[in-house]
Amino acid sequence: MTTAQRKRIIELTVNEETYELAIECQEILLDVLRNNLGLTGTKEGCGTGECGSCTVLLEGEPILACLMLAVECENKKIETIEGQSINGDLTPVQEAFLEKGGVQCGFCTPGMVMASTDLLKRNPDPSKEDIMESLGGHLCRCTGYNKIMESVQHAVKLNRDNT
Amino acid sequence: MSELDYVGKRILRKDGPDKVTGKAIYTVDLQLKRQLVGKILRSPHAHARILDIDTSLALEVPGVKAVITGKDTLGIKHGFVETPRYPADQYPLAMDKVRFIGEEVAAVAATDVYAADKALGLIKVTYEPLPAVFDPEEAMIPGAPEIHPSHPKVKEDQVNIGGKTTSGWGDVEAGFQEADYVREDRFESHLRTHGFLEPHATVASYEPDGKLNVWTSSMGPFIKRAKLARTLGLPQSSVRVRKAYVGGAFGGKIDLYSHEFCAALLSMKTSRPVEIIATREEVFTAYRHGQPMIITVKTGVKKDGTIVAQEFKTLNNSGGYRGSGVVVIFLVWGFAMVPYRIPNMKYDGYSVYTNNPIRSPQRGHGAPQMRFAVESQLDMIAAELGISPIDIRLKNARVSGEKLPNGDNVHNCGLKDCILDIAKHTDFKEKIESRRTEKKGRYQKGIGIGVSAYFGGSLIYPNSSSVIVKMNDDGSVSLLTGSLDIGQGAETILCQIVAEELKLPMEEIRVVAADTETTPVDIGVWISGNAYVTGNAAREAAGDVRLKLMTIAAKELNVDIEELAFRDKRIYIAGQPERSLSYEELVALSIQKHRGDPVIGNGHWRTMRDQPTHPSLATTKGRWTENYAFDAQTAEVEVDTETGNIKLLRAVTAHDCGFPINPLLVEGQIDGQVSMALGHAFMEEIMMEEGRTLNPSWLDYRMPSIYNIADSEHIDVITERYQVGKPYRTKEVGEGYVSAILAAIANAIYDAIGVRLFSTPFTPEKILKGLKKIK
Repeated sequence: MTTAQRKRIIELTVNEETYELAIECQEILLDVLRNNLGLTGTKEGCGTGECGSCTVLLEGEPILACLMLAVECENKKIETIEGQSINGDLTPVQEAFLEKGGVQCGFCTPGMVMASTDLLKRNPDPSKEDIMESLGGHLCRCTGYNKIMESVQHAVKLNRDNT
Repeated sequence: MSELDYVGKRILRKDGPDKVTGKAIYTVDLQLKRQLVGKILRSPHAHARILDIDTSLALEVPGVKAVITGKDTLGIKHGFVETPRYPADQYPLAMDKVRFIGEEVAAVAATDVYAADKALGLIKVTYEPLPAVFDPEEAMIPGAPEIHPSHPKVKEDQVNIGGKTTSGWGDVEAGFQEADYVREDRFESHLRTHGFLEPHATVASYEPDGKLNVWTSSMGPFIKRAKLARTLGLPQSSVRVRKAYVGGAFGGKIDLYSHEFCAALLSMKTSRPVEIIATREEVFTAYRHGQPMIITVKTGVKKDGTIVAQEFKTLNNSGGYRGSGVVVIFLVWGFAMVPYRIPNMKYDGYSVYTNNPIRSPQRGHGAPQMRFAVESQLDMIAAELGISPIDIRLKNARVSGEKLPNGDNVHNCGLKDCILDIAKHTDFKEKIESRRTEKKGRYQKGIGIGVSAYFGGSLIYPNSSSVIVKMNDDGSVSLLTGSLDIGQGAETILCQIVAEELKLPMEEIRVVAADTETTPVDIGVWISGNAYVTGNAAREAAGDVRLKLMTIAAKELNVDIEELAFRDKRIYIAGQPERSLSYEELVALSIQKHRGDPVIGNGHWRTMRDQPTHPSLATTKGRWTENYAFDAQTAEVEVDTETGNIKLLRAVTAHDCGFPINPLLVEGQIDGQVSMALGHAFMEEIMMEEGRTLNPSWLDYRMPSIYNIADSEHIDVITERYQVGKPYRTKEVGEGYVSAILAAIANAIYDAIGVRLFSTPFTPEKILKGLKKIK
């Protein structure tokens, strides 16, 4: 594996910017985002799809970037945590996580924010069970999830107030 | 004094915006120019002699820049504890022997991970396997394979004793004679991991001028600097450990780890930055987890429930090296001694070497194990005597002003209030009574209580926290602290204190933290002393600035200092707010009139000012701390008597943390600990077979998810208040609440179905087995 791999040139559209990248076929999206594009907001907690920290949106759907080959994302739209707050304004979900104490060490936060954002887009008024289903694959060791649950519920309220 | 504007308020985290936007840079996110990837070769044997290591083929792999083994090191040992009695016992890279599966044998730096992995596979290590032992009780029997045969200081008939703590007072035999009821029980706890989301990670960059820059996911930079410098043979001043955000730690990132040493040495060899990030599988299999213990408790009580004597024997399984094994056997003595009065006590704790991976501190560091034992047994005693669990605890609970047997003062203790408040809040007595009469059906509910106490900020290297507060020209402030925010909110509460002392908005305080080069020393965030020790240092530093500003203002306004008040970055004459000077003006005046003094304040703090050092790990003699937090926790559970599954329906924590500096953060700490205890009780267990980890992933090691959210309520028992300009003794909230709740769950299970559990975790198998026995 150490000899130079045949690289492929692909186009990735991340947070509405298009990048042309030379990558090896086995490279996962997570590494390309973090190492090639410097978008380190998306985290790797396990690399095996068990913790949810690497969640990004692919064509609007939450996926685990550690289990996705970058070449599979060619010509598809990717959204990461860095694309959430435009011009420094926090989104209601980000605001809610901040206000309700849904953040401690912060390592799971980008994944939690992406999954919650996706949930509220699909379902503006989720039940507790809906929230559990959306965040069920996201591990957090700091909060015990109480304040994460509150954060998502608060984001629902902020969204409602905004409209 | 005026009312508080910042301390005691639900102020949002300073680091929150960085974290919700993905801007926070953790060690794993660093990418320096020409950075190499480091990987570690680990022992496949639990116990073996290293006969030869051949790295020649690995060095030929294209992209490989360096390979190191023990021979490339100075052969300087290190240890979590390094005292004359317990000298360092571990090489940063194995030299002659390996003592657990996963021990670090060699390391590689390469241009990419593929080259590094390939090189690891080409390093040829010749081992001579040796007999190994894994169970601590078997390891103690003479004739067991000796893991550190030449270990000198602890003389015992048994073998593999890495350390021993002996303590006691009064006459325990006479106490048992005097008792109306005596019982002895044995409790066992199991192996759990910390579960931080950010794996262990280090980036080291050795500069041409001889400076070693290190970023590492840790719990305090100063201890890392000291140990890196010593094992690498560098002066401390050549090593700079710098801040990156930390993705959780929970006790698992304190000591020097081999990957930190290897990243540094590889960088020194290659003159390029080297990054080593542990895989999650490595974190599970080769890194340090918590401390399973075997605890025997013998307790004698009077008919009314008064404890007259207690005897403890504890045993930990420290793994191939001491790790924090000799600390935990000291600490559990303390966790036994603090909450209740024990007139006669005898304690023997043994730390035993085995061929398992090393053990480290883990949130609570022995307290969950000890409180599970004591609180379970206390409920058994209460039932035997016909006393309620509440009354027996009230009878023995310590109160403010008591002196502990080690000479420590319990300055303020809200334990009785915690017990009373929680009993009332949960209708504890009524629930216990009603359940005695109605026990039918598949699902049974129960309630239980536990009590705990936790120390804060005890003396340990570097024994001091110092803080600098600098005024800026515009009247804002820079706060320099060696403390590290690992998620608990350290930077936020230090800012709150400075904001309060200077009546300055939080946004006007910029924090520079956790950098051994630019920030003053700090005890680290692993001894539960940040709020108290570093917090008081911050208070003093801000107070120093305040005094300087007021001195100038008094002179300029032509009044006495006592006549001044301050608000909104201004100092004014009380009652005459129009006669004022802004902080900006005062800084300019200070520079003009005090030979350029730009107004810099410094403060430092240390607990136990009259003590030279920490208490003896061998004898417990010497004082421990002046800062004890207390709590009572209740659990309400529902047991499915057909499947043995248990639900934690409700958890309540009544806590005396002195006063909460930030209630939002305090609640977050408590909820997180309740969740961790829930995992401890029902879900989490590292399964090991002959030193090998069988479930090294989050699929097979089940940590609580949002589906396992615990209903967590909080009751504040306030035992002191914050006053501007005065020292305070607020207490820890970071690790004291993982313990009593575990015991409360065990006691609630007993209340529900009459099954008494003597070991963790509380699995369906144990429940069903217990139910069968009753029927």
